[in-house]
This record gives sequence, structure tokens and C-alpha cells, in this order.
Amino acid sequence: MSGGVGPALSPPVIQMAQVATVALGAPLVSGVIARVEAMLQGRHGPRVLQPYYDLAKLFRKEALAPIGASPFFLAAPVISLACYLIVPLLIPVLTSYALPLGYMGDILGGGFILALASFVVAVAAAETGDGYAQLASSRAKTFAAITEPVMLLVMFTVAIVTTTDLPYVLGATVRSSPDQIVRPAHLLASAALFLVILFETGRIPIETHTGTTEFGMIEEGRSFEHSGPYLALLRWGSMAKQLVLFVIFLNVFVAPWGLASTHALGDVLLAIVLLLAKSCGVGCVIAVIDDSFAKLRLFKITEFVAAAFLLAVMAIFTLYLGGG
Amino acid sequence: MGGQSVPDLFDGTATTIAVVVLLLEFLMLRSALLRAQVRLYAVQSLVVSVLAAVVAGGRGVPELYALAAVSFALKAVIVPWLILRLMRDASTEIAGSGVLGVASEIMVALVVAAFGFFTVNVLDIHSDVLPASALSLAFAVVLVAFVLIIMRRDVVSQAVGFFSLENGVSLVSLVVAAGMPLILEVAFLFDLLVAVVVFGVLMRVHHGRTRSLSTAGLTRLRG
Repeated sequence: MSGGVGPALSPPVIQMAQVATVALGAPLVSGVIARVEAMLQGRHGPRVLQPYYDLAKLFRKEALAPIGASPFFLAAPVISLACYLIVPLLIPVLTSYALPLGYMGDILGGGFILALASFVVAVAAAETGDGYAQLASSRAKTFAAITEPVMLLVMFTVAIVTTTDLPYVLGATVRSSPDQIVRPAHLLASAALFLVILFETGRIPIETHTGTTEFGMIEEGRSFEHSGPYLALLRWGSMAKQLVLFVIFLNVFVAPWGLASTHALGDVLLAIVLLLAKSCGVGCVIAVIDDSFAKLRLFKITEFVAAAFLLAVMAIFTLYLGGG
Repeated sequence: MGGQSVPDLFDGTATTIAVVVLLLEFLMLRSALLRAQVRLYAVQSLVVSVLAAVVAGGRGVPELYALAAVSFALKAVIVPWLILRLMRDASTEIAGSGVLGVASEIMVALVVAAFGFFTVNVLDIHSDVLPASALSLAFAVVLVAFVLIIMRRDVVSQAVGFFSLENGVSLVSLVVAAGMPLILEVAFLFDLLVAVVVFGVLMRVHHGRTRSLSTAGLTRLRG
């Protein structure tokens, strides 16, 4: 623990700061992406802080539920947001050393919690009896099933590289030497994960996350029947999910630098700023990719997933050949 | 398995470049436009030349610089230019669909590539200049090129498949015999030129006879 600016914080406080960073920073990242996207399309675009105003407005509105929906319909947004905010406890958001609850779950556990959140929302959508919400949740589950093998193979790659499946260990491995960065297995697994993130955040290949056509929606379509504070929670949850995925991609795989290595307040604050800056950077890259490729037909999605699968399988192959 | 033995910077870079060659081969399998396929071939040749230059610099084999230059000039510039020129007369833009869908083709190619990987790995061939994994990847490139030739039903894809197969073979020769006399390597490259001429004639004649580049019509009997 060498030096560091400011008073030392206790680990539980830093752990809470990780959750708070994701919860409060996520709308900012979404706002930046929306702004960059608008600028790329030659529009002025909304304010960067617009997502916060949207959430505040929705929290003030009244909530309605369809007739016949069970209490689960109203509980689902709360559960899903809670799930998305549990994951930051497990992954290196701000610190390069593991925090007390950091070893509570491995990378697979984090994946399960993310899947649970999406499952809860899908069940709530199925309760409504609205055709579009049910269509969206059925699509979301179908496509989740075909991206799941890719995620598993990425995790296997991590497991073979580090002989553990803890996100902190992989981050430390990547930081340890440049040899680890040019490893083909690492590059391929990161590329596969990036493709999955593009898909999971509703960018490419088929989804229009900002549009209003029901047929182009997958994730967004599931919240059709929710309103008021519940809709706000769902929106907030999907922003938090996006930031969580970015954090896993950045701080575990691609750029695990700029994390606090001490308990000092100054270092933690710097880590927060750097994390949000890095996430906005990834967001800009994603916005450029999103704007420069045409959307695919729905059933072309297997091609996209096949590409990600190919990358992940190649990562495992090169590892087994001893050259990875 | 590999967990603890981390390849050094040179080996990692070389294997990554070989992986890129294989991924470009998969992209050729995927691309639906003929021109895109030829461009991918040019990029793949460029990457192979870069690998030759990397080996030349990293392992001190200066004649490989000459090989890299010749193979860049020939395979990344002249051959793609010739194919694109030949294609200008044919108005076809889109490659005929393959025997299978794209996702299934990629799965088949993946299985074939895995076969290549592991059979070559069993042979236990070692080389002084490049990691053995590059050899396995090169064999996978050759096998996936075969898949491309077999699955596609148009002359251009088949020609490009054949040329990229040659890229795989040059990758193999880089691993197995980096110190091979330059004159032999250049002889191989000129073999490729002959192949280009043959395929050019084939494309011309085929297009002249059937008014298309698809080979699907060749199964029909003519009276």
C-alpha cells in the first residue's frame, strides 16, 4: 500500500462506492453514447444528462399495471435492478485488489445473476398478455440461448489462461506483462466478448434500441406494459447492465489500467473518473460501429453469433496447441 | 495445458498474425460479394507477407525480406488486380449461394479446421523460427480453403479458394522451411501466376458458354 492521496477508506466503503459508481454513472454513459450517435448522424442530439432527467420524470409519474397481472409484474423491475447492482460487488470496478465480497462469486456467478435479471423481466412481460412484450421476451430468451455458448467458451478461455475463474485474477494477469496482451487466446476471447456485448446492449446486428418500431425491438420491447417508477427502474437497469458489461470488458479483459491500487480516497476518486472516461470511450467506439453497419435481417443473427463463436473456439484451440 | 507456459512476445505476435490469416479465410467463406472476396484475398496475402517480414526481422533471416516484398507485389497487388479485371466483363456481383447456409458452413469449416489443428499437433513438428501452433493454423487455412472450394458454386469463389490455399501453403513453408532457398520460393510464386492464367481462361470460357459464373448449371446435360 504505497502512499496515495487523501485519507484511507475502509474496504466496505469502497465496495459501496463500486455499486454507486455503476448505479449513478450508467445514465451518464448512456447519455454520452446517445449524444455521440446523434452527432454522427448529423443531429444535435439530446443533452448528455438527459437520461437523468428522463428517469426523474418517470419516477414522478403514476404507475399502472394491466388487469390480471400478479404482484410479480411489479416486483420484477426492482429485482432486476437489484441483480444488476449486485454484479459490481463481484468485479473489479474501482480497485485492482479484491474487496471483501469480491470472491463471493466468480465470473460464472456474475453471468448467472445477469441472466436471472433478464429472466425476471421476461417473466413479467409474459404476465401482461401484451403481444409485443411477449414477442420481445420470447426473442430475448431465444437469442440469449444462442449467445450463451459463446460466453461459456470465453469463460473457459479465462479459466485455462488463469487456472481460476475470478475476474480479479485475469485483470492482474493481463497487467502482468505485454506477453499476456498479445496472446492470441486473450485477443480472440476479448473480441468474442466484444461481439456479445454489442449484441447484449442492443446495438448490432438487428436491434434498433432507439427506434419505435416494435418489430425491431428485443430488450426495449419487454417493458411495454410497465409505466411510471417501474419503467424508470427497468430503464435504469438496462443502463446499469450496459455499464456492468463495459466494466467487465475493460477492467477484466482489455484495459485493466487506471484502477486504484490503494485504499486512499484520492486514488478511488481518480479511478471513478478514469472508469467513466474509459466507458465513454468504448461507448463512442460502439456508436461508430452501430452507425456504420446496416442492421441485419432477424434470422441472420445466427451468422453474427457464429462469428463470435468462431473467435471463442479459436481462442480455446490456440491455447490447447500451446501457442495461445 | 498452456496455462502456465506463456509464449513470449515474438511467438505471441506470430501466432496472432497466423490466426488473422485463418480468420480472413473464414471471412471469405462468409462474404457474399465476389469483389469483397477478392479484396479479402488481397488482405490475406498482405498479412502473410507481414508475417514473413516479422520473421525476417525477429529471427534474422534477411532473405525473407525479399520474399515478403515479392509476395506482397505479386499476391496482394497483381493477382487481385488481374482477377478484378477479368471480372469486369462479367456483370455478376453476387456469389452464388453455397451448398449450405453461412452459419452451417462456418460450423463445418470449424470442425475441419479443428481436425487440421489436432492432427498436425500430433505430428510434433518443431521449427526454429516460428511456434508450432503457426503450423497447425496454416494447415487449418489449407483445409478451410478446401471447404470454400467445395461449398461455393461459382468460379470466382473457387479460384479465390485455390489462391488462398496457396497462402496457407506459403505459411506452412514459412514455419517448416524458413531458410529455404529464395529461388524455390519465387518459383512457387510464379506457379501461382500460371494458376491465375489458367483460372482466368476458365472464368472467361465458362462465362462465354453459360453467361454466368455459377457452376450450378454445369450439371445439366446439353444436347
